[in-house]
Amino acid sequence: MSDFDAARDIPILLGAFFVLTAAIGLVRFPDLYSRLHASSKLITLGSAGIFIGVSLEFAQTEALSRLAAVLLFQFLTTPLSAYLIAQAAYLRGLEPLLEGPDEWNALGKAALLDRRLEETGER
Amino acid sequence: MRGLSLNILLAIVWTLFVGEFSLRELAIGVLLGFAILSIFPLSLGTGGYVRRTLAVVRFALFFIRELTAANVQVALFALRPHPPLHPMIIAYPLRLRGDNGQTLLAATITLMPGSVAMGFNPERTVLYAHTIGMGSVREARASLKKVEDALLPLYGQSAELQEDTA
Repeated sequence: MSDFDAARDIPILLGAFFVLTAAIGLVRFPDLYSRLHASSKLITLGSAGIFIGVSLEFAQTEALSRLAAVLLFQFLTTPLSAYLIAQAAYLRGLEPLLEGPDEWNALGKAALLDRRLEETGER
Repeated sequence: MRGLSLNILLAIVWTLFVGEFSLRELAIGVLLGFAILSIFPLSLGTGGYVRRTLAVVRFALFFIRELTAANVQVALFALRPHPPLHPMIIAYPLRLRGDNGQTLLAATITLMPGSVAMGFNPERTVLYAHTIGMGSVREARASLKKVEDALLPLYGQSAELQEDTA
């Protein structure tokens, strides 16, 4: 433990912990939509922790500016992929396991699906 | 635009004073310049810029806090023997208008506790979201409203004004 540097290693350990719980959540949650919660949120902060620890290890301006760019793109792209996966699965009829209401189905799924089919010319 | 260019100009002037051009001095210059712009909003005409920048900073702090809360919540759900997921799909009527704001809202709620954005209705007035760990639909809507309230000032819309028209 002579190598332990709190400022560097605590963010890395926290990040690794969140990535581990993301993996556990992916296995344990009941359906695709719940699993997206684990993959989108936990991976974002988990990888952020690891990146912050690594850039503190190098402690140079270039490392920090690259960290900022990496985090920015991570925050932009992770929700986008989660959104597209959820929407594609739902519109293709993958039934969610729900304990509450499905207000999309009640309010507008049919209308959106109609529009999609018209746009892509599948009908 | 005027506020931003003044801020950058003041930052460059600061690095000239210090006589050292580096990312660190430039960052100090931006902070000092922003302080000057917020002390003299009337004579410099930078009130709007200062207000919007503060709204962005406030939103960033809110975002980091909520992201941490979301991660602790989902991590606990993943580790508990019987997590009370209570999954729902809710419809949220939007007050925020415009593509940029709505995109940012959808991206943000995906990283917030308990919700993942799933889609919009064709008129872009309702956001559909999958939620876990919310006791009721009312609670889920309230948590989305909190995010929208934090975003509205960024797009020059005040929360109170929008409630009347909605």
